[in-house]
Amino acid sequence: MSTAFHYPAFEIPRELDGLRREVRAFLAEASQGWSGWDIGHSWTGFDRAFSREVGRRGWIGMTWPRAYGGHERSALERYVVVEEMLAAGAPVGAHWVGDRQSGPLMLRIGSEAQKQRFLPKIASGEAAFCIGLSEPGSGSDLASLRSRATRVDGGWKLNGRKIWTTYASDCDFMIGLFRSQGTAEVDKHKGLSQYLIDLQSSGLEIRPIVDLTGEAHFNEIVFDDVFVPDESLVGRENEGWAQANAELAFERSGPDRYMSSFPLLPLSIDAVHAAGTADRLSARRIGEALADVVTLREMSLSILGQLAAGHMPAQEAALTKDLGTSFEQRLPELVREITDNAPVITEGDTLSEMQAYLVQSVPSYSLRGGTREIMRGIIARGLGLR
Amino acid sequence: MSRDNDDIAGPLGDQLARLFAKTVTREALVAAEHNVFDAALWNEISEIGAALALAAESVGGAGLAWAQADGLLQLLGSQLPPVPLGETMLAAWVLGLAGIEAPAAPLAVAGALLQIDGDGCVSGDDALVSWAPQAQVIVAVAQGAGARQLVLLSTLDAELTPQRTLDRLPAARARFRGARPLQAVAAPAVLGETGLLAPLAVLRALQLAGSLSQVLALCIDYANTRSQFGKTIGKFQAIQHQIAELAELSAAAQVAAGYAARQLDGGDAAAAERGAAVAKIRAAASATRGAAIAHQVFGAIGTTDEHLLHYHTRRLWQWRDEAGSDGWWAERLGRQALAAGAAALWTGITASAP
Ligand SMILES: Cc1cc2nc3c(=O)[nH]c(=O)nc-3n(C[C@H](O)[C@H](O)[C@H](O)COP(=O)(O)OP(=O)(O)OC[C@H]3O[C@@H](n4cnc5c(N)ncnc54)[C@H](O)[C@@H]3O)c2cc1C
Repeated sequence: MSTAFHYPAFEIPRELDGLRREVRAFLAEASQGWSGWDIGHSWTGFDRAFSREVGRRGWIGMTWPRAYGGHERSALERYVVVEEMLAAGAPVGAHWVGDRQSGPLMLRIGSEAQKQRFLPKIASGEAAFCIGLSEPGSGSDLASLRSRATRVDGGWKLNGRKIWTTYASDCDFMIGLFRSQGTAEVDKHKGLSQYLIDLQSSGLEIRPIVDLTGEAHFNEIVFDDVFVPDESLVGRENEGWAQANAELAFERSGPDRYMSSFPLLPLSIDAVHAAGTADRLSARRIGEALADVVTLREMSLSILGQLAAGHMPAQEAALTKDLGTSFEQRLPELVREITDNAPVITEGDTLSEMQAYLVQSVPSYSLRGGTREIMRGIIARGLGLR
Repeated sequence: MSRDNDDIAGPLGDQLARLFAKTVTREALVAAEHNVFDAALWNEISEIGAALALAAESVGGAGLAWAQADGLLQLLGSQLPPVPLGETMLAAWVLGLAGIEAPAAPLAVAGALLQIDGDGCVSGDDALVSWAPQAQVIVAVAQGAGARQLVLLSTLDAELTPQRTLDRLPAARARFRGARPLQAVAAPAVLGETGLLAPLAVLRALQLAGSLSQVLALCIDYANTRSQFGKTIGKFQAIQHQIAELAELSAAAQVAAGYAARQLDGGDAAAAERGAAVAKIRAAASATRGAAIAHQVFGAIGTTDEHLLHYHTRRLWQWRDEAGSDGWWAERLGRQALAAGAAALWTGITASAP
């Protein structure tokens, strides 16, 4: 009927319950020392030891070919692992970008040498990747970026600045988008290329930026004649825009776009019981949230099914991301509505710590990965407006 | 639920869509609001076999699953045929599950749980039964000592008090005092504590989703046509973003209703009720905000009697509260979640063993 979007049902078969139980058992153990503040970080929690352990268990690069360190499991199996990690608020940040984005990008368009060199390291949880798109002058209008790649003997020289690069200071590699041809004013999205950059390269300076929670997870990176060899070009020269956009469909569609604050929901049930306020209001609020979670999960699974079938559901991804981030942003408010907790952060009180962290971080959910306004612009265009 | 059924659902949906496009005129919508039953439309629908689409093949139906008929049921909300087709399909489905052939007539469905005594007589009250004034038979579930019964009741045995509603379609409060059912059998296992309220809520959610998708299409069309300040209003970002939000709401309603349809097909009462809750909560919330957006986009013309928009928005406001409002279902779902405890929340969502 409506052709504006399409969400065919895609279900997780019961056969995967065994895998699910395995992940749950692992997480029950691993989560022992996590504070509410830690759990609130969800997929932005960075813990290399944790990622190595997840890699050892074969839960990174799950769908990739064995030849590249992958495990040739299904997209559904990967989804089960990922959603269990998110439900527990596990610190998956050190392998998240590599597993979700950089690895799949290389698998699709990377050179054989890149696949052999990087994919096994991502899958084992050893190599951490970050994404170098945004610049001081180019946020939503990414195509206006100015950082430049200049052809030199045996490779390119990179100059310019990247900003908001999550965990650059802790990561090993970046896939960065640079202007390899023309100018920002005239050529816009034409003439951009993607490079695989070793963050230890000389001429590269990483400056952490402290965010409003007091932590420094994102960074500004200055490139001063950073040399990258020929083989660091990802995909094709000057095709970086289309490549980066295809990558974004993956970035925007996963369960991480609706589950970032999920652990608050079960905690709020405990809180309501403890306070003796399991009343109509709290029941209604929790019921509404539950209906949203189930619906968003259905949407997210449907997109997974479409991606697995080789489609590129960009419209559905934008739509689901906007709904999903709104839901994530709603949960700390829900907690405020059904509990009357004082605005204090009490060490050891999981809810107070998680709530404090999330109240301060949820505003960024509708910025990162493309802002709400940009999502709505994409949707409107897809609907035939403009 | 065989593959062949998908091949039936498609053509049946196409046939209905063509029929509705031809017959659901403004005059037809107005006539229905004046209590005129569209017998011609009903006859055509019956000839196509749509009323029995969900009924088992063993009782003469097409045996479609809810999930297969999902698009077809959404047509009832997008094209608004002013006849109780959804109710009749639902009734024929549940009767079929109980091995009963549905009467060849428009049927009404009572969502409220009635009581049945030792002599097999039914009592109880349903505050709002859509189409009851024009149906000869009401299908209901009645609670007896221990077991629940699926009952067929004659509207002649009911005390019907017509009710005015926002959609202005025939509806009545139905009271039964010791009415002897035309037929009574054990209620099928898929009907849980809430009886027929759950499938009725799923039907309303599908109708809401269908209506929202049509409202979205109307808004897009209008935004690309209406001009102010020398350009179509669809060029204004404020309008674009509201319509984008409407698309999100419409998609969410559609997905939630489709999810609920699959849970009904699964046959497990608890899952079916949970699906109904999810669908009704989500679709009703989408309807609330969606109707507001549509009226904002359409400006003054959209608030007139002459314009067709209100045939959708009045139904959105009506259906969101029928068969349990979003608030009612949310409270029920929330109480269950509170009772099950924090640890059961995620296992419940993933429908998996702990
Ligand atoms: C926590 C966090 C992590 C991030 N991690 C990374 C990372 O790892 N790598 C990376 O490259 N980037 C990262 N980003 C950057 C992110 O992609 C940008 O913040 C985002 O693209 C928006 O750019 P901006 O912040 O410059 O805002 P701007 O683009 O300046 O936007 C400011 C406001 O104006 C609005 N606006 C802009 N253009 C339009 C328009 N056309 N129509 C309507 N409204 C408009 C925006 O929606 C927003 O509300 C991260 C951001 C955050 C918050």
